[in-house]
Amino acid sequence: MEMMVKKYQQKFRKVRDEMDRWEQLQSRFITQFRNASSIIQRLPMLGDSKNYGELAGVHGLKEVLLGKQMESLGSIFCSMRETLKEFHIIVMSLEKIVRDGNQLLKGGSIQPTTHQMQLRVGIRPSVEDCLDGLKSLHEMHLSEYLVKSSAFEALTLNSSASDLGALHQLLVDQPNIPKEEVQFIFNIIFAEEIC
Amino acid sequence: MQSRPPHLSSQEKENEAKLLNPNPCSSSSPSPSSSATRLWKPAAQRNLRNQWSKYLSQKDRWISASSNGRSHATSLVNAYLSQRYMPEMDLGVLSEMPGIRYKACEKLALQQEQYQSKLLSCYRDMVDVVSHMKNVSASMRCFLKGSADSPLVQFGSHPEDSNDSGDGGGIPVFSYLSIPSFENLGQELLQMFVLELCLKRLLVIELLSISCKESLKGQTSRLSWSDELYLYEFDDLSSINLYSDKQCQPVAPRIVGWEFGNPTSGRTDHVPDREILQVYLTAWLVEVNIDWHRVDQIFALVGEEMHINLS
Repeated sequence: MEMMVKKYQQKFRKVRDEMDRWEQLQSRFITQFRNASSIIQRLPMLGDSKNYGELAGVHGLKEVLLGKQMESLGSIFCSMRETLKEFHIIVMSLEKIVRDGNQLLKGGSIQPTTHQMQLRVGIRPSVEDCLDGLKSLHEMHLSEYLVKSSAFEALTLNSSASDLGALHQLLVDQPNIPKEEVQFIFNIIFAEEIC
Repeated sequence: MQSRPPHLSSQEKENEAKLLNPNPCSSSSPSPSSSATRLWKPAAQRNLRNQWSKYLSQKDRWISASSNGRSHATSLVNAYLSQRYMPEMDLGVLSEMPGIRYKACEKLALQQEQYQSKLLSCYRDMVDVVSHMKNVSASMRCFLKGSADSPLVQFGSHPEDSNDSGDGGGIPVFSYLSIPSFENLGQELLQMFVLELCLKRLLVIELLSISCKESLKGQTSRLSWSDELYLYEFDDLSSINLYSDKQCQPVAPRIVGWEFGNPTSGRTDHVPDREILQVYLTAWLVEVNIDWHRVDQIFALVGEEMHINLS
């Protein structure tokens, strides 16, 4: 069982790498969202000729300005879609880690008893702790990926400032990945390293 | 026809060069003798590599001047709006401090002056960038120095013989593009930056004109299009064809593909509100006259032709 736990710890290290990558994507996604939402908020203002002040004398400025902003918005949307794809890759990779984790158990020569499954040696985690931990980390990221996808779908040219503010908050908060809970899981798995 | 006079074979070479280059410039001179061509090529290649590297560094200078200008402009607008809304601003517990609003306004006004002078200096940089680009675009030809018969053939940037057009007779300098083709690409770039500079000038004038102090006194000392923004600005603008001697003022700003407007047509004396300032800042940021995709494309094309990396 001890060897088994070591193998699981190895898997948690992989999860941690994936989560670091997630953090990078998260900050990229937030930046992209902010850029998109500042363009969306500017569009009505740019569409109104009376906001051009002294620039009103420059023919075509409004048309070209709006056109270029729409172009930028289009390319930001594309990049956001790319970032979402990368989030999804992480979710799939976490899913595979969970699957491998289950396989590890089934592939072994002896099927552990419930007692063995729950056995904690010293401050070491039990096999069950490991399996549960991997499973919940995967679920957290899967749900958060779905939230991000729907937030992206909700982002349109007609989004109001308050909609955009709420969506932004939702994206920043990542409600499905509670920091304390994640920390708690890692603390159990790597208890011996913390001491 | 056993022995051909040598000038006939060079005539043939010229025809061949014309075939290689589908768009020979009409100003191309008859190709010089083949030995001079042989020596001309490396000199022209060296010169073009040099000039285009300069072009690239000027483009980078523009990017940094434009982005610094934008951040100064943004800070300026923020300071201006804070000062303007200071009377209504809720200062909480601070509101009981004597003279706090007055002091804050003084400070914000000082900041505005600082940002305005920084903005102006970015504008000067941009004028300087465009002047350099103009020089580069006019220095792509490579002329024979002294006589072609002299044992030491040299090349320079100025024609010594009126028959020498400096383009090697329109032959490809590297593998495909001729001097006129390089010049056309350079002109295309230059044109974008010239137009954008002109639009930026209008924005600079508007941003230098905003000030709370004057509007409070009821008198506006707004800058106008025909004012010189710094000493000898008009000399600089003349050198890049942005000054009209006929109208005694700089050429009006224009959007690529659109007709000239009138920069003074919409002049109003009231202070611009928040939305207008936002549009100004957006216009600065977007650089409507510069197609960055095309700019990168041109540098990539030229770099590939010259076998150097221009990015």
